[in-house]
Amino acid sequence: MATVVGQPSSEPSGGPPRAPDSSGSARAALAARESPRRRLVRLLILLIAIGVLVKGWMVTDIDLGKLANAPNAAPILKSLVTPDVVSRDIVQVELDVPVVVGAGSNGPATASAQTGQTFKVEPGSPVPGGAVAFDGTGFAPNATGQIRVQNPSRGIDALWLRVTTDDTGSFHADSGWSDYSVFPPDIYHFHLTINAPGATHISDTFVNSLSRIGETILLALMGTVFGVLISAPLSFLGARNLMGGSAVGQAIYWIVRLIFTITRSIEVLILGVIMVVIVGIGSYAGVLAIVVHSVGSLGKLYSEAIEGIEPGPVEAIAATGANRLATVLYGVVPQVVPTFLSVTIYWWDHNVRMSTVLGLVGGGGIGFLLIQYMNLLQFNQAATVLWMIVIVVTLLDYASAAIRSRLV
Amino acid sequence: MLRIEHLVKDYAGGVRALEDVSLEVRDGEFLVLIGLSGSGKSTLLRCINRLIEPTSGRITLDQDDITAARGDELRRIRRGIGMIFQQFNLVKRSTVLTNVLTGRLGYVSQWQALLAHFGEEDYRRALSNLERVGLRERVHQRADRLSGGQQQRVAIARALMQEPKIMLADEPVASLDPATSHSVLKYLQQINREGMTVICSLHFLSLARTYGTRVIALKQGRLMFDGLPSDIDERRFQAIYGEEAVEVEIE
Repeated sequence: MATVVGQPSSEPSGGPPRAPDSSGSARAALAARESPRRRLVRLLILLIAIGVLVKGWMVTDIDLGKLANAPNAAPILKSLVTPDVVSRDIVQVELDVPVVVGAGSNGPATASAQTGQTFKVEPGSPVPGGAVAFDGTGFAPNATGQIRVQNPSRGIDALWLRVTTDDTGSFHADSGWSDYSVFPPDIYHFHLTINAPGATHISDTFVNSLSRIGETILLALMGTVFGVLISAPLSFLGARNLMGGSAVGQAIYWIVRLIFTITRSIEVLILGVIMVVIVGIGSYAGVLAIVVHSVGSLGKLYSEAIEGIEPGPVEAIAATGANRLATVLYGVVPQVVPTFLSVTIYWWDHNVRMSTVLGLVGGGGIGFLLIQYMNLLQFNQAATVLWMIVIVVTLLDYASAAIRSRLV
Repeated sequence: MLRIEHLVKDYAGGVRALEDVSLEVRDGEFLVLIGLSGSGKSTLLRCINRLIEPTSGRITLDQDDITAARGDELRRIRRGIGMIFQQFNLVKRSTVLTNVLTGRLGYVSQWQALLAHFGEEDYRRALSNLERVGLRERVHQRADRLSGGQQQRVAIARALMQEPKIMLADEPVASLDPATSHSVLKYLQQINREGMTVICSLHFLSLARTYGTRVIALKQGRLMFDGLPSDIDERRFQAIYGEEAVEVEIE
């Protein structure tokens, strides 16, 4: 056994000689530098973080099992793939053939429509216990319909039989005639109604959604425009580099920045609720909510754009003897125009997204339609609205990004 | 005549940039300011048109007391003092014409400025000043499409629009290559020979010798030297720039 003078007694005897530069000992040496107090603090932070997450899980009722709740999810998911986009017209053809019971004639009774359909009842004078045959031609193929027997003066209006046309649009049906106790001699009418599927056209839901998304885009546009009109001039007063000179300037700067911060901190939906109380339900309330929200956010972004300009040109124009307004107009404005435009387009795009939910609180736009369909459990219609939002918002997102990339 | 008396400038934080500077600049001089970076050249130039507020002292231009002027009076004095800068300070996204026309902003009314409505006379003046710096055909180009030397010449044209009595130039060629530097300084020299006073800070002593009719040197905010360019010998050079300094020539 190798013995080393001065080796600590705690070293297990028989172990391999410790290499002074081995990684194990280096790690141990470095780890030992961390004080026990720091370790304790770290452990405490970890425990508190876990505690908060567990509490959060319980408070928010997280239940992963509910996500897989098929009976509730199925109709919604199914509706998502079958949105109500198109609907088909029903073309109804009605023909009326009178038959005379007790007249003794054997010939058929017929009626024909101007659009070419004919309906034939044979015989035209049914006898008790005899047969009655119905023939129709010229109808839409594979259409369904019914034949009723009617006699208003006797109070008779009953379903006689149902018919379905074949591939050529014709049908044939046989039946028997009852005796005089049911149908005494008189004139009866066989009334044929054939319901044929007509032209396919865009559904009312789709048209409604389209008009509402248009309203939403315009709502966002109006809100953005008024937001720009208010925030763009204000933003110059909220730029430190333009207002830093005097105490009055500083005061104005802080007040403007405070206005921006306050208006920005209130969520659009809450603003919507407030505006609905003030001006009533509708798009106008939505526009006002967007305006207030935009003033804060746009103002901040504009002010920051102004603070980011090159000071040189401003200095040069001030040196020509230009007054303050002219200096800002010729030295600052040309520098910030591209950023202002880019920020504005982005913000309009953002406002469209905000406007889609404003309808939930009565602020107009497409959200109103969505909540209406959801409340009526009309999931197919709701799906149409949802898809409309997704597609339009995505397209706008791409469009605004494309425009902005050309500006800067 | 420009007269500077006991000029002091203290920056916030206690840095003294100018220490009791007094000098007179006679009409028609090409005065070159030399000195190390931070010696106070830019501060001195900016005190003359009050882009920087002096702490104390007095500056007068002919009968006008620049340091006492306020508001409209200050702007009237400023428009009589042209200035060009190291970074040219053109509005890059605006056209050459717009940049040159901004030189008239000290003359036009608020409304004319707001509506960008400059008079026929101003347009004619802009074209003739661009002609003077050899950029007549660039009038409709965006300023940032021009080379550095061309941009500085546009800046000179802009300053000329003010019809100034005196032209300040703060390191006008420090961002330019040697050949372009000469071209820009030749325009300043020509303007000077037509009678305008020029005060120009420069890094290179060789340029100062070529173009200056008089040189003053600043060191840590104090006036170190005031004389003819040819009077700066080895000893004076080292007094201005420090023991370690070696003079480099610019061709």
